[in-house]
Amino acid sequence: MAETEETLKRIQAHKGVVATMVVNAEGIPIRTTLDNSTTVHYAGLLHQLTMKARSTVRDIDPQNDLTFLRIRSKKHEIMVAPDKEYLLIVIQNPSE
Amino acid sequence: MEAAPAALRAFIPPGGGWPGRPGAVLGGGSVCDSGSVRLTESVFFNQKSCQTGEVAVAEVAVQSRSSRDAAVQTDRSAVPDVQQGACVDESGVLAFLRRVEEVVIKELNKNVTSRAFDGFDVNWTDQNRTVLCLHALSYPEAQDQHLQVTGVSWNATGSVVACSYGRLNDGDWSTEKSYVCTWNLDRRRLDPQRPDLVVDAPSSVMCLAFHPSQPSLIAAGLFSGETVVWDTSKPEDPLIWRTGMTDDTHTDPVYQVHWLPDAKHGNHVQLLSASTDGKILVWREERDGRLMVAEGFALVAQQIPRSAQLKKLVWGEAAVGVTSLSFSHFDPHVFVVGVEGGFSLKCSTAADTPAPCRTGGSVPLRAPAELAFSPHSGPVYSVSCSPFHRNLFLSCGTDGQVHLSSMLQTQPLISLQLSTKYLFCVRWSPVRPLVFAVASGEGDVHLFDFEKSSQKPAVSMKQAVDECPVYCLEFNTKQTQLLAAGDAAGTVKVWQLSSDFTEQRPREMNHLEQLASELTD
Repeated sequence: MAETEETLKRIQAHKGVVATMVVNAEGIPIRTTLDNSTTVHYAGLLHQLTMKARSTVRDIDPQNDLTFLRIRSKKHEIMVAPDKEYLLIVIQNPSE
Repeated sequence: MEAAPAALRAFIPPGGGWPGRPGAVLGGGSVCDSGSVRLTESVFFNQKSCQTGEVAVAEVAVQSRSSRDAAVQTDRSAVPDVQQGACVDESGVLAFLRRVEEVVIKELNKNVTSRAFDGFDVNWTDQNRTVLCLHALSYPEAQDQHLQVTGVSWNATGSVVACSYGRLNDGDWSTEKSYVCTWNLDRRRLDPQRPDLVVDAPSSVMCLAFHPSQPSLIAAGLFSGETVVWDTSKPEDPLIWRTGMTDDTHTDPVYQVHWLPDAKHGNHVQLLSASTDGKILVWREERDGRLMVAEGFALVAQQIPRSAQLKKLVWGEAAVGVTSLSFSHFDPHVFVVGVEGGFSLKCSTAADTPAPCRTGGSVPLRAPAELAFSPHSGPVYSVSCSPFHRNLFLSCGTDGQVHLSSMLQTQPLISLQLSTKYLFCVRWSPVRPLVFAVASGEGDVHLFDFEKSSQKPAVSMKQAVDECPVYCLEFNTKQTQLLAAGDAAGTVKVWQLSSDFTEQRPREMNHLEQLASELTD
């Protein structure tokens, strides 16, 4: 338990990181540094997007698979590290 | 051959008639001389009839005697808690994090040092390059009486603009009637000379404000010190609330009205009015259309907090009439007030100290001032708190200067001399943190962009000719490319801004933070 918190704290302490969250395979958030409603919002939307991105990659080449997803917007960059059971979502403000 | 037995007689049932008699059997036979009997064929038939049983019928009348109204509303479903419902496999999560941590940290570090996206901008909407005047609205009757536009306001949906007519340069007490006109800009056949609704006001209207969520309510402050609320959805009798002239109401013209969310009653909104008699009153709706004072604040010269750096002013006579007011977007208790004496004050609605009351009033007034900022050399006509930074606010006044100040220090951060005449109104842009608009006495509306230049305006729009001052302006928060400005000639011009002014730039918030942190104290 403490180790997961340590790891998340390490990631959160990085320069410019605004928020970190861990989401399970059903899109339900498990750990987060944001408030409830925002977390649920992000988790639902990004889970769907990650599934879509993965199916896009595999559709083009069935031997390929999604390893990382980055969305760059005007205000920040959202990074999603996917896995079979979980997703790690990190939101960073790169200009800081 | 024996003779046949007695002849068969035809059997004719008594009565003769055979149809309808159930069970009739007809047969016939004849006797011939040879003695043999020949039976004619008999036809069997059966008659049956039926009749439905009598249907019972009854007549009854029903009338509901009492009725009740009930409304149904779906509630926002409770947000599922983050941790519940998911069986968390701690070791699984830990293993997952161990796998991805390195990759993620590598990407985070790359991002911070990356220059790949520097200067890269995407345009999702059509870029509009010019600023142009969409409409020039006026009410000819008011213009004939040489009335000026004293206030403009956009409604909650952003489609209706209202303006109030009155006089700002008249020192005399006047009992002349004035008007409040509204135009719906989304109507196809918009006639700039004919407002959709004209409301008569008993005296000059000095300021007005639309309700933040109900699109048809307008509050206005009058020259006589009264505050009234009109409902524009009732054209025959729009006046719904008024303060009347009691001991509680203002004794001087009301220069600012504001709807503020009521902290105690959740979604309820209360009305606040500020006047040059130094009082800021919060009104509560009572029955039969009266507004009663719920709480109030009074600014008295002796209670103004003094800062060591302010020059010594003659405090006893310092005019503390309130000319403008702006609430902070971040802290609902904090507001900034501009006074006739030229200084801006940071105030709080949570203040406790009572203010000495000169005239009898039903509600004890409190002294709200907490901090006095460095003064302008003339009355402050307008203040505006930034919607993007909790400490920044703008003030402008008769000295033709705009001060950008932080609530943390008394000296302004930036002072801009924009006009040789007065500046009447300053407003932050609701979408771009570094942009504000200022209305000048020379008839110009200046748009300032701190990103481009902190010395001169990015765009200057000439609203009126012949040095006719522009008295008020408001950005449209729903249709962010629109800006309405009213001038002394009685015209309201609706300007359409270019896309430069409607989309936030990538590093704007950082720039704003930088500006705000250049404190000199």
